[in-house]
Amino acid sequence: MREILKITIALTVSCLAAGLVIGTTFIFTAKAKQQNEHLNVQQTMFGLLGYGKHRPAPPELRLYSVYRYIVEQDDAMRMGYLVPVRKGSGEGYAFVVLDLKGRFLESHDLALTAEEALSAEDRKKALLPELKASAEIAFADTMIIACMGGERTAYLLPGEFPGFKTFIKAMVALDPQFHILGLEVIEHEEDPGLGGEITQDYFKNQFVGKSFEKLKKLTVIKEPLPDDYKRYLETMGIEEGGLSAREVGQIQKHYQDKDIYALTGATISSAAVTNGVVGMAKKFAYRIRILDRAVDTGQVPVLF
Amino acid sequence: MPATTKTNTQLVVNGLLNENPIFRLALSMCPAVGISTTVANGLLLGVAVLFVQVFSSCTISLIKDHIHPRIRIPTYTLTIATWVTVIDLVLAAFLPVAYKAMGIFVRLIVAFAIITMRLEVFACRNTVVASFWDGIGMGFGFMFGMVALGAVREVLGMGTFLGYDVLGFRPMLFFVLPAAGFFLVGFMMAVFNYVETVYNRRAKRGL
Amino acid sequence: MKKEGMAFRAVFLVIALLLLGGCNQPQFIKEAAFQGTEQILLTFAGPVDEAWAEDRSHFTVNEEPDPDILLTIRTVSLSPDQTRLTIELSEPINPEQPHQVIAKDIQSEGRGLGTQSVTVSKSYFGHLFGILIGALLIQNFVFSKYLGLCVFFGTSQKKSTAVGMGITFTFVIVFASLMSWFLYQFVLKPYRLDYLQIIVFIGLVSLTVQAVDTILRKVNPALFKAFGVYLVLVIANCIVIAVPLILADNEYNMLESLMLALGAGVGFLLALFLMSSVRERLDFANVPVSYRGLPIAFIVAGLFALSFMGFSGMSIF
Repeated sequence: MREILKITIALTVSCLAAGLVIGTTFIFTAKAKQQNEHLNVQQTMFGLLGYGKHRPAPPELRLYSVYRYIVEQDDAMRMGYLVPVRKGSGEGYAFVVLDLKGRFLESHDLALTAEEALSAEDRKKALLPELKASAEIAFADTMIIACMGGERTAYLLPGEFPGFKTFIKAMVALDPQFHILGLEVIEHEEDPGLGGEITQDYFKNQFVGKSFEKLKKLTVIKEPLPDDYKRYLETMGIEEGGLSAREVGQIQKHYQDKDIYALTGATISSAAVTNGVVGMAKKFAYRIRILDRAVDTGQVPVLF
Repeated sequence: MPATTKTNTQLVVNGLLNENPIFRLALSMCPAVGISTTVANGLLLGVAVLFVQVFSSCTISLIKDHIHPRIRIPTYTLTIATWVTVIDLVLAAFLPVAYKAMGIFVRLIVAFAIITMRLEVFACRNTVVASFWDGIGMGFGFMFGMVALGAVREVLGMGTFLGYDVLGFRPMLFFVLPAAGFFLVGFMMAVFNYVETVYNRRAKRGL
Repeated sequence: MKKEGMAFRAVFLVIALLLLGGCNQPQFIKEAAFQGTEQILLTFAGPVDEAWAEDRSHFTVNEEPDPDILLTIRTVSLSPDQTRLTIELSEPINPEQPHQVIAKDIQSEGRGLGTQSVTVSKSYFGHLFGILIGALLIQNFVFSKYLGLCVFFGTSQKKSTAVGMGITFTFVIVFASLMSWFLYQFVLKPYRLDYLQIIVFIGLVSLTVQAVDTILRKVNPALFKAFGVYLVLVIANCIVIAVPLILADNEYNMLESLMLALGAGVGFLLALFLMSSVRERLDFANVPVSYRGLPIAFIVAGLFALSFMGFSGMSIF
């Protein structure tokens, strides 16, 4: 009996000690983790817009995040959009509720700043008191609208879709007419050397410049990438790339309306990315038009 | 087993060569095969294992006199799990790119036989200092193995080294595949065996 | 006694029927399934009015996570016996994604049955089976994920030890995974203690091993003598903590976790069996001195890994 007691006490003490160590580490690292993720996302976004170390983003560039929620209230489903609005002389957030057909229903002003809006927790905390007690909200996705001087320059869509192995997290950049500006693969678990090549320029850059009409029917070509196209993709027509302006123009014209050339030995990953991007872009185009109309009807002073 | 009689440097060298965890002791081969696709990966996981090994060894060595013999294994497991969680959280927070590259393997460190073995065989009978150096030896041995494998696989498979293009072309994509990991580890083990046989032969002749 | 037994069984049956028959209201839409790439087939419990069925506006189809994006219906056609309705959409649908079909104001034999919705998805059984085969063959834990190698090489020298290890392992992992799932869903997630995953899972495995050890000792000493020694080795097996981590990451439900654990266990058994068959033969082969023992075993494993790559990309259902 004494033995068992001693053992149990020893085990409990060890567990508590372990828990304490882990807990403290967690507290210290949680903040850093969030910061890191945020910085990463920021970098990706600027990269997609064409800015980077060599071309810093101009101060007039503003990125507005719109968060989409699905609201279930009294057996009816509604769409809720958390949008940045003008509040007096500053900025704030409002929650715009639409019915499933896109008709404006109501708008709630929230006490939320842009920084707080980054955290899902803070968003939920600000939203819940505005809705009826029986309502349930589920976060759907984020869309980021880049504006310069009051005009929209691009849409950035972070999203996730199934890949060959598990999920692929990517960000698509569209211009105001929904033509693709760029694609960035953020996270994936594809095979290195095969499916993992979706992060390479010669795959990602194939999406750049595809028009919205072409995008809707985009598929994958199971043929190897032609050499001249590959050279163009890897340098994207920069003078130092070794291609003359005339050659660049020719290549662009020729391949503009072609489908995506699949990666050798990774047709499934290539198709997964293509379908994922097409799905994201199509759904976004549909939703942003509805949101714009609803915001007009409801006279919500959005910043974008 | 009685406490060790080796000096501290001997302990480290032991971990690197004589009792190299991957190639001689044949422990913790899962990551050796799966993660050693690039030098960078090997280095990072090696550092993580080094951290866990050293800290676990020291912790166990510190409390070795208070461990109840019947809960030896659970105590080891608990210690290792704690330090693995710590390094997992720290890596995720401060080196996210590296962390993602290693995927599930960081959390799997808790099941690496090498660490438990070392605690059972060494740390629970030796002083903290000796355990520390043994941990360093084992950790570095593991890292050495991973980096060696990673180097061969990266150079021959992708033509790069630590991400820098060395060959300018890709010799054989096969080396990046996991099957090649198996082949290479087998081959390296054979090499270590051969070296040992030659060394023994020479030592015998020398006598 | 017998009468009481019968009464019990009757009550049991009624309860079971009630539960199965539907805690929800009986659905008029009996079944819904994908047909080809552009059609959905609805089967009703009774005949529906033609006038109601031929009107496209009575139906909406959307992908489950996007209730605000309604897919365009090209045509609807009713079968001659008026119980099967085929909805044809103007664009191909993605069968991997569950879809929701809503039929408004159903009119059947003159009666209005209100609005009902139904979820269309690929056969759930197929999905479960897919996970099982995935863990068994396509993503075999030893040959495709390189986990559990230490134990793998240690116990694959003889067929008898290999099979023994495989069976013990399958047993432990199914049990431990189910318990891990349970703890994850009801303790770790609600209290946001995700970072304690590693400790909890490995703790569960140790407990399971200890429990199996004790139970086996008492219940079947003969079996214990055969398999007991492998139990300890199970703990040092990477797979045994990888499976709970995977099912936590992917948020599998109980059945899916069971399938994953079963697939992992049987896959490990399969790998062990294959390997031991080869190694027994290798004992009689002329292997160079430096390669004897582990090195040649690794090379054989590499060959197996290459062949298992042939399974990658396979998708049934």
